[in-house]
Amino acid sequence: MRCGSISRCEGSDGVTAIRRIVLVFLVFGMGLKPVSGWTQVDITVTRTVIQRIPLAVVGLPPVLLETGGADLGAHARSILMDDLEFSMMFEVLPPAFLPFEAREIRLGKEETVLPSLNSLKVQAMVSAELTKEGEDLILEGRIYNVARGTFLGGKRYIGNAKALRTMVHRLADEVVLRLTGERGIATSRIAYASRGSHASELYVMDYDGHNPVLLTGNRSINLSPRFSPDGTQLAYTSYRDGNPDLYLLNLATGQRDKISALPGLNIAPAWSPDGEWLALSLSKDGGTNLYLMRPMGRGLHRLTNSMGISVSASFSPNGRQVAFTSDRGGAPQIYVIDIEGTNLQRLTFEGNYNASPKWSPRGDKIAYISNQGGDGFQVYLMNSDGSGVQQMTTLGTNEDPSWSPDGRHLVFSSTRGGRGGQKNIYVMHADGSGQRQLTQDGFKNFAPDWSY
Amino acid sequence: MVRQAGELCRKRGRASMISWRGPLSGLVLLLPVVLLLSGCPKRPEVVTAEPAAVAPRPAERVPAPEPPVERVEELQDVFFDFDKSLIRPDARRALDANIRWLKNNPNARIVVEGHCDERGTNEYNLALGERRAKASRDYLVAGGIDNNRISTISYGEERPFCLGHDEAAWQCNRRGHFVVVR
Repeated sequence: MRCGSISRCEGSDGVTAIRRIVLVFLVFGMGLKPVSGWTQVDITVTRTVIQRIPLAVVGLPPVLLETGGADLGAHARSILMDDLEFSMMFEVLPPAFLPFEAREIRLGKEETVLPSLNSLKVQAMVSAELTKEGEDLILEGRIYNVARGTFLGGKRYIGNAKALRTMVHRLADEVVLRLTGERGIATSRIAYASRGSHASELYVMDYDGHNPVLLTGNRSINLSPRFSPDGTQLAYTSYRDGNPDLYLLNLATGQRDKISALPGLNIAPAWSPDGEWLALSLSKDGGTNLYLMRPMGRGLHRLTNSMGISVSASFSPNGRQVAFTSDRGGAPQIYVIDIEGTNLQRLTFEGNYNASPKWSPRGDKIAYISNQGGDGFQVYLMNSDGSGVQQMTTLGTNEDPSWSPDGRHLVFSSTRGGRGGQKNIYVMHADGSGQRQLTQDGFKNFAPDWSY
Repeated sequence: MVRQAGELCRKRGRASMISWRGPLSGLVLLLPVVLLLSGCPKRPEVVTAEPAAVAPRPAERVPAPEPPVERVEELQDVFFDFDKSLIRPDARRALDANIRWLKNNPNARIVVEGHCDERGTNEYNLALGERRAKASRDYLVAGGIDNNRISTISYGEERPFCLGHDEAAWQCNRRGHFVVVR
């Protein structure tokens, strides 16, 4: 959600004004073909967006469900501060930097510390409290603009102890929304494949690696999980019936449909940004080519026409182009084509294996993997015209990059720190910083996909 | 192979049993004749029928008959270079042997599986495995095998044969694997 509805954003606050100008440039930069002057502005602006708002979290005193049990208040505090820090929007001040005992500031008394925070140049404050009510917990949070000393809004969440992480994530997203006008990712989820001895099953976990939930359980090969744009459905390939067929899982109802079961491969699904079309790769007509079809299987038509391999499609956020991997030039490289099947262009020219393109939801960058550095596969970024190639990873073998729904982060798989065939899911910010591990169960975890 | 050896052993056993029965059976027949000839003895004459010192004759060596020739040539896997589905010379020899087998077993149907090593993307490798399976099938068809007897499937890098992470393991996994459908 952009800061388009300006009335929703803060008024003439200095930080938000800059943010608004920055966002306007971004919007313009995305739509135009790169002409040297605009390209320059585009890159500069992308960098300065990472100007974090200094923020303090106060409150969340100790709460124990039973004597000697875990301090849920401290637990909530660390989840909240982690969420806000990871969002890239805030610089969360460590409690030691504050001139008062942050956890002792009770809800309702937080306005007293606004002046001292202001003198530290802190711009935003979140005050929160967790209380018990019978079997439930109540989390309340209040959000303040420190400079103007104004209360921006608050929220209360009720749930049992098991729902605590989700409640805190929701509060974090509320903070991001109130202070930046953008939708936060603290309640987002990552689907991925996990391979044991004979089967690879699909899971979905919280964006911070917690609460993995099994989605398939058919003890066969399951691959390429892809959330629909509205996050309600998951497309994937499964060998459960003896052939790589394409399935659609409704995450709310659990309903599963086999949507493509043509002879040979039905693989590598990719959603158009409006959710109206799926791109997929089929081998029924000789070679492996890209096709487009409606999510329930109708309207199938061919997009590429070669006897080679065309696979791993990714739509541009305006829905008009598809990036994909093809070996039509002799080795796997990344190409882009209009959805009408015209204007084929090759994007990659370094190295002899460039694959797995993923177009950023912001439209400016394509993430992919390449062996051009000579050190196995690494995650790279390039502009959507193939220029500006940047290497993002160096440790181990890194594959399967996928964007966060807000386009500020990447999830990928890495062999670093693992033994043998172990792979784990990692996340990083879009500038390559903050790389951290999400899974650690000793299996081969790969093919992540990230959705609200 | 084991079964054939067993058969040989069994045949050898029977041969040696036959050769022992000869002298023994003669002895058994001799005793009652001796007793009869001596009438009704008041005192049984002890006739010690001394069997002729029969040294155990070595088993007559009957040469084992040649087992019926049914050479079971198993279908051979074919191997590929990195990122290629080209049929190499060594693959051609294996495929030619498979063609002979298929011609000798005209009712057999097979599945050709295409496999890849762990490098590269899972999705691309599914397509590469498909291409390897089809290239192998096309060679068999060109060699005179009916298309209807062969189906193909790709497993990409998802079902490796060798679990290492070096060139030996990778080459082991870049293969077309042949399975007879029962």
